[in-house]
Amino acid sequence: MDYALSEEQRAVVEEVRRFAENEIAPLAAEYDREEKYPYEVMEKATEMGLPGAHFPVEYGGAGYSTLEMALITEELFAVDPGIGLCITSAGFGAEALLEFGTDEQKERFLPPITDGESVMGAAISEPQAGSDVTSIDTTAEKDGDEWVLNGNKMWITNGSVGDYFVVMCETDPEVDDRYAGFSQIVVEADRDGFSAEKITGKLGIRASDTAELLFDDVRVPEGNLVGQRGMGFLQLMQFFDETRTSVAAQAVGIAKGANERALSYAEEREQFGRSISDFQAIQHKLADMHTRTEAARQLTYKSAWSVDHAEDDLTALASMAKEFASRVATDCADEAVQIHGGAGYVDDFDVGRLYRDSKITQIYEGTTEVQKNIVARELLGKGT
Amino acid sequence: MKVLVTVKEVAEVEDDFEIDGTGVDDRYLEYDLNEWDDYAVEEAVQLQEAGDDIEVVSVTIGPERAEETIRMALAKGVDRAIRVWDDALDQDLLDTATKARVFRAVVEEEEPDLILTGVQAGDDAFGATGVALAESVGQEWAAVVNQLDIDHLLAENVARVHRELEGGVEELTDVELPAVLTIQTGINEPRYASLRGIRQAQSKEIAPKTLADLGLEAGDVESSLFLTEMYEPESESDATLFEGSAEETAAELASVLREKGVGAE
Repeated sequence: MDYALSEEQRAVVEEVRRFAENEIAPLAAEYDREEKYPYEVMEKATEMGLPGAHFPVEYGGAGYSTLEMALITEELFAVDPGIGLCITSAGFGAEALLEFGTDEQKERFLPPITDGESVMGAAISEPQAGSDVTSIDTTAEKDGDEWVLNGNKMWITNGSVGDYFVVMCETDPEVDDRYAGFSQIVVEADRDGFSAEKITGKLGIRASDTAELLFDDVRVPEGNLVGQRGMGFLQLMQFFDETRTSVAAQAVGIAKGANERALSYAEEREQFGRSISDFQAIQHKLADMHTRTEAARQLTYKSAWSVDHAEDDLTALASMAKEFASRVATDCADEAVQIHGGAGYVDDFDVGRLYRDSKITQIYEGTTEVQKNIVARELLGKGT
Repeated sequence: MKVLVTVKEVAEVEDDFEIDGTGVDDRYLEYDLNEWDDYAVEEAVQLQEAGDDIEVVSVTIGPERAEETIRMALAKGVDRAIRVWDDALDQDLLDTATKARVFRAVVEEEEPDLILTGVQAGDDAFGATGVALAESVGQEWAAVVNQLDIDHLLAENVARVHRELEGGVEELTDVELPAVLTIQTGINEPRYASLRGIRQAQSKEIAPKTLADLGLEAGDVESSLFLTEMYEPESESDATLFEGSAEETAAELASVLREKGVGAE
């Protein structure tokens, strides 16, 4: 068992943090307030090779593993979850292409992400289908050599700024098996009948773009089908361990960011003639926040390491990491605001933003409740 | 063309620290690439990207720990690196002449067409290694360079540089290669090491060299300077508060700055 990061991993952490502090931190409050997508930061992030860093080298990535992606995600989210998500989500949906796409599809859709020319998204959720993916209504019918899509997708990250989306749709409704009959199809945003409506008023991660997508007889060539027809849901399932680990890493980052700010404010703020960090009530909060964050980090690293190395089914571990880390993130952000007192309640300090941002980690990529169901299911031997 | 960039891993001191003997207690130090050297590395890499067949080699004097820092230069595009270390170099203070002797041995081996150094190191701040090296290898030099015409250098083998002088004055100088330029901060915008660069840097060469490898002996690196004491001076502060409108306070500030000698007349 090796418990230390390699020199290369330490260098990645150090340089990503330096980037985030110099290029993201000064803009974070503004982009949050105005709910705007940070094009200028994306350009710089591209120079550094951050978008699609896990893509293989031949498609412009650095070939980084799940563990390294967790390290990168943690550093970006510690500085700002909103802009951090814009960077780490630029290649959302690419997992399906990497695993099941043809060489031609990879060549067409992956390099533009690492070149910074395009942003992509994964379109799964619908107004009536959140955690219950198999209840989606978006359909794709075969018409000659084209697919014709109809339906709408909700809460789609990068929805109104993305150039193409891997869309989960029902292609074979007549199939009896509740997990079969779905397919993943790439839809470009410039196709006729496609439209996106930006969703505003989010509680947090407001720099990140979220939209509703509408498909009104959108025609795409049959070559846009990713993997096998009818296997879409099963293809998607394969990445839950990876995507949930990545949300766990986001949560660890938020907790880390909250803890750092709480610690430095506690040392700086004076009351009753001394720094509030002299008070045991504050000390115990800080100790607890840091301890729980470290525990969440180790669970996340273990989950990431397992995605990269272990052959067993690691579904429970990924759900444990996602559920626990997101709870730690919301708790730490809460305590960080508490330690800041009144100052934490206005947007002069970052902790209020982190407090709002943290909540999403308990909701997306499977809610806390769904994660607990999964852990219990695995424990009780009902896993598949 | 070959460009040699000298780099140094410098110690950065935390806000609160304690002095231990003739140095700052190690617990309060963090190590990083010298800020000026970061600009020198960037300038060399820009030169490499603009020209054909330009090799950029970095050299440092430092213990094994310094490899982490020098590898960041490799991640930014430097082709290979040399790290010189020897028990005889493990001294409290390596003076400029000593460093110049070590670097001269490297220069004689590598025969670069251009040598870039930072103007100074952020820790001991002698600001002399570059020019001392130039003198030692008998090359021309330009110090405190804040602009280099890369196209002109590639076309004519002449470094057309702007040098920053006191009081905001700039001097334009042409220096024929081979030459040493000491690079000032602000000459460019140092890049972040790309993730792919960090990955590639892991397999680039950092050649360790001892004094013997360079044809030197312990006697060649005996510093003539010795640290005798280190202390923290008493600090005093003198704050002036301007009151009034922005125009009034700005005018007052300007006159104070002028009195203190900031800005050229």
